[in-house]
Amino acid sequence: MTMMNGKEYIESLRTLHPEVYFFGQKIKSIVDEPMFQPHIHTAAMTYELAHDPEYEQIMTATSHLTGERINRFTHIHQSIDDLVKKVRMMRLLGQKTGTCFQRCVGLDGLNGVYVTTYNTDQKYGTDYHERFKKYLLEVQKNDWMPSGAMTDARGDRSLHPSKQTHPDAYLHIKERLKDGIIVSGIKAHITGAINSHEILTMPTRTMGEEDKDFALSFSIPADTKGVTYIFSRQTNDTRRLDGVLDGGNPKYGIVGGEAIIIFKDVFVPWERVFMAGEYDFTNELVETFAGYHRSNYGGCKVGLADVVIGGSNWIAEAHGINKASHIIDKLTEMIAMAETCWSCTLACSYEGYKTPSGAYHINPLLANVTKLNITRMVYEWMRLAQDIAGGKIITLPSEKDLDNPETMEILTECFVGKEGVPPMDIIKMLRLIENMSVGAGLPEAMHGAGSPAAQKIMIARRSGIDKKMELARTIAGINRDKYFEKIIGKDETAHWDEVKKKIKEKKVQIY
Amino acid sequence: MRSIGLRYCGGCNPQIDRSKVIENLKEALKENGVEVDFTTDRQSAVDIVLLINGCMHACLEEEYLREAYSPQFISVKGEMVDDQYIEEELIPGFLIKKIMDLFNT
Repeated sequence: MTMMNGKEYIESLRTLHPEVYFFGQKIKSIVDEPMFQPHIHTAAMTYELAHDPEYEQIMTATSHLTGERINRFTHIHQSIDDLVKKVRMMRLLGQKTGTCFQRCVGLDGLNGVYVTTYNTDQKYGTDYHERFKKYLLEVQKNDWMPSGAMTDARGDRSLHPSKQTHPDAYLHIKERLKDGIIVSGIKAHITGAINSHEILTMPTRTMGEEDKDFALSFSIPADTKGVTYIFSRQTNDTRRLDGVLDGGNPKYGIVGGEAIIIFKDVFVPWERVFMAGEYDFTNELVETFAGYHRSNYGGCKVGLADVVIGGSNWIAEAHGINKASHIIDKLTEMIAMAETCWSCTLACSYEGYKTPSGAYHINPLLANVTKLNITRMVYEWMRLAQDIAGGKIITLPSEKDLDNPETMEILTECFVGKEGVPPMDIIKMLRLIENMSVGAGLPEAMHGAGSPAAQKIMIARRSGIDKKMELARTIAGINRDKYFEKIIGKDETAHWDEVKKKIKEKKVQIY
Repeated sequence: MRSIGLRYCGGCNPQIDRSKVIENLKEALKENGVEVDFTTDRQSAVDIVLLINGCMHACLEEEYLREAYSPQFISVKGEMVDDQYIEEELIPGFLIKKIMDLFNT
């Protein structure tokens, strides 16, 4: 088994030649394009840390297929411990990059498809699971990063896929051949797409019988003929071309580097097809994937919170306000919120379960609660980071003015803080806080892994509200309470009759 | 008479009504003319152990799988029995089949 390091991962991308467009131009080399490099560095961190003895316990796992050591991002969770280590890995990588490291989507796709293909085969006698295991072996052997491509373009959301005016609004089977299928359609905002080795597709919603051709999952190499990528913009992205400082996180960028993927008459061999018409398993695949993915957010975003909390405290110290009670209070709020989200993700991992396939899944209710908290709390802790950092985060001069001999000196004086703190360090930290708290990372926390409404649907569906009503009925005295009757040693009705009688007789003592 | 040892999980937040599942199982066994002695006494020798976990996390399994437990056990875990998803109302019927299979082997 190969376990690539960061540099080897970057070099491995050179062997692929995906058709990528950005800013109206076809990109010749993904690796050499400055607009893409921060995203590539971030994904490379998922490879690099696997080789550091300090982190290998979290970053690597033992393959259940071969017994060999593999990068955890290619692993199928075999225990509760694996689920817990997965979210620990997410937090760690958030801490090391301060942004989205992209590779978790593919990991969740691998696990989601693994679980669902097993169940599909049980019902239909198909061989999707065996096919998928062979593919998984390849992923592990080559240490590939597959992008998890779930969300379709979707067109008119009120209509099912088969009823759309534009058939490519959802990825679908155009033709079934002896040796494979021909597919077309559009997947939208796919994280890490342009710097992945493979694409693993999944349906984006529950499908009905009329949507059979849209009930589809497969994998293909990223540079397969007929696949085109259009890289998306992010807040302040072109600052990367202006210098080093203004981007805020020049090494690792901002959010995951999303792209639209267009499939036009793409051939997929049967051995790479994992769902082709089994519409009654679309819901399971979507929910299984979403459960894994939503649980991650209590790891990665908390890792980012660790960075922004540290940055906020550093700025407060540099400005000489770190002892002010309101600053301590704000930082404590930020920490408490971050650790609340961390508790959620640990809980949904520890409360996980073994699926019929043997793979472990998180507790879906708690995973959705985790993500719903993230959609709110990230905004709140980033608001506090902005509050502590001050207005400078949106009024900083450009790097070019800081470099200009005519303005350099006066600007540097303008940013002097506590004695001994270099003004340029203050500017660097303010830019990082701007990058993390003002930019695209916020709506990413809102919509990544599904919007809040999607989490609420899942929470409502899985909360067991009927059982909660039973509990309330029993406490309220509508239902019989057998334990209360055991405690008092008699029938409840008789007991309350006695109590009422004693109250009437002004005897306060009940027994 | 055949015997089944009942083991309940702690029941912190069950997805199923565990006692009702067992009540319905007992009734269904009776209707099928199968006489079974149920016990919750952990010291009693039994033919089968039935783990009744309220949810799929299956706390009881941790203990039983770790100890390579004998006799054999069937694990109800929320709307799942062993490695199959089963709706709550169908669990007793499904259990009867499993129990009879184990009694007959």
